[in-house]
Amino acid sequence: MRRSTAVVGVLLLLGGCTGPVRSVNVYESKAGRTAEVAASAVQTALLAVEAADGGKAHGRYLTQVLVEAEEDATSAQGTFDAIQPPDRRADALRVRLDGLLGEATENLAELRIAARRGHLAELPELARPLPEVAEQLASFAEAHG
Amino acid sequence: MKRFVAVALGILTAIGGFVDIGDIVANAETGARFGMSLAWVVVVGVIGICLFAEMAGRVATVSGRAVFDLVRERLGARVALVNLGASFFITFLTLAAEIGGVALAIELATSVNYLLWVPIVAFLVWLVVWRVKFDVMENVFGLAGLALVVAAVALWRLGPDWGGLLHGATHPAVPQGESHPTWWFFAIALLGAAMTPYEVFFFSSGAVEEGWSRADLITNRLNVYLGFPLGGLLSLTLMAGATLFLEPRGIQPGHLSQVALPTLLVLGKLGLAVLLVGFFAATFGAALETGLSCGYSIAQYFGFQWGKFVRPADAPRFHLITLVSITAGAGLVLTTVDPITVTEYSIVLSAAALPLTYFPILVVANDPDYMGDKVNSWFTNALGSLYLVLLLVVAVATIPLMILTKAGS
Repeated sequence: MRRSTAVVGVLLLLGGCTGPVRSVNVYESKAGRTAEVAASAVQTALLAVEAADGGKAHGRYLTQVLVEAEEDATSAQGTFDAIQPPDRRADALRVRLDGLLGEATENLAELRIAARRGHLAELPELARPLPEVAEQLASFAEAHG
Repeated sequence: MKRFVAVALGILTAIGGFVDIGDIVANAETGARFGMSLAWVVVVGVIGICLFAEMAGRVATVSGRAVFDLVRERLGARVALVNLGASFFITFLTLAAEIGGVALAIELATSVNYLLWVPIVAFLVWLVVWRVKFDVMENVFGLAGLALVVAAVALWRLGPDWGGLLHGATHPAVPQGESHPTWWFFAIALLGAAMTPYEVFFFSSGAVEEGWSRADLITNRLNVYLGFPLGGLLSLTLMAGATLFLEPRGIQPGHLSQVALPTLLVLGKLGLAVLLVGFFAATFGAALETGLSCGYSIAQYFGFQWGKFVRPADAPRFHLITLVSITAGAGLVLTTVDPITVTEYSIVLSAAALPLTYFPILVVANDPDYMGDKVNSWFTNALGSLYLVLLLVVAVATIPLMILTKAGS
């Protein structure tokens, strides 16, 4: 009984770890999934900005949406960056995706800061680069998912 | 006239009380990912919950005793204990998810972190359970839950391609880029959300709380056959909103705030405010129902005095179980586990436990010793048996699909 409990405990611990990825294909699919999550966060922020532009939402709600969008993108990037790339091809993928994720999180942070300060009128201008970032992330996800 | 008002109130309460955090999350996630292709599951789930809730309500009305009370007597302590264990675990998880859902709804209105709201919400849930009369509690939150109708108003105002939505719903197909196992996994989640076990326990215990007699059998039927399907329609409007706004943009909703976006974009601030009231009422009402259901299930199994129809001092163990469940549920959310994740797991595991909940109800509803001339008709039995086969298949498939699809990710 004690032995089986220990085995289950070890398995659960191992399951909770971000282990090394031995195959580039698995790494690639994780990269694709990360891009998908980040693209979803960026698109969410764009909808929030659309609502702000039309004066359709109050600041607290918009701030919350933007905080969560930034958290989603940052968390996806953090999880992906913790994975050990298995070879040079994976290195290239990592660099490319990290560039996109960095751009996304930076823009989302700017939106969150402006919303928290109550500068809702600035959001559409700040969000100008985001549609392209979202498109690039979506294309990356499609190519590597 | 008084009777008519009571029946109408019951139906409206059933509509508002049907939707909870599980329905909100499952329908939005499904719509955003699979469009309307899984709408049929909501229909199957609503028919199932109508079938078994009517049975449970009829059993309670005719026998004057609630479901667990009879399950233990009819099937024996051991079988009933398995039933209790599975149902209580799922109901407890759902309670934690609802408490988290209320806190998230308040967070959207205040921008104050939901974790700070959790203890306050738990205290308020306990206070209402302790102090407020059963019918007042049920009617207030059921009616306030009708605020979710604003999602349907937004859909109507938007004037979508109704034919396209209907075509998507009536021609189910796995969307491109999605796998069949993931599609089926989400189908199971939707079924679990629509047929959550606590709804049946609460409904049958509520019938005893309100002292229903044979004269109320018609009320039972009208509440179930009108209220629940209209509640199901509300769930479908959330799915349609996600289909129209979130799916084309590739948004995968993991937050309550994203579920509100379609209504916000169509109706603006007022629409959002009404929707947030609806979220609050639906989740708070469900937190009350699940909190009470935790107390009902254990107290009825062990034969303790239960219910709000007696003074709290006369049912101390029932109130203690309810209080401990609410506190533990809040404790679970305070571990910072994502309430939406708890919701997702609660509805999926709920699907896995469905046969354990519904089989005993079918058995008791067929026992002439308890039911007299009000035993199930052949049609109800045929449909009930068909559902049990379906639920058994779902129960067997749930965990493998969960592992295979990494919980639908």
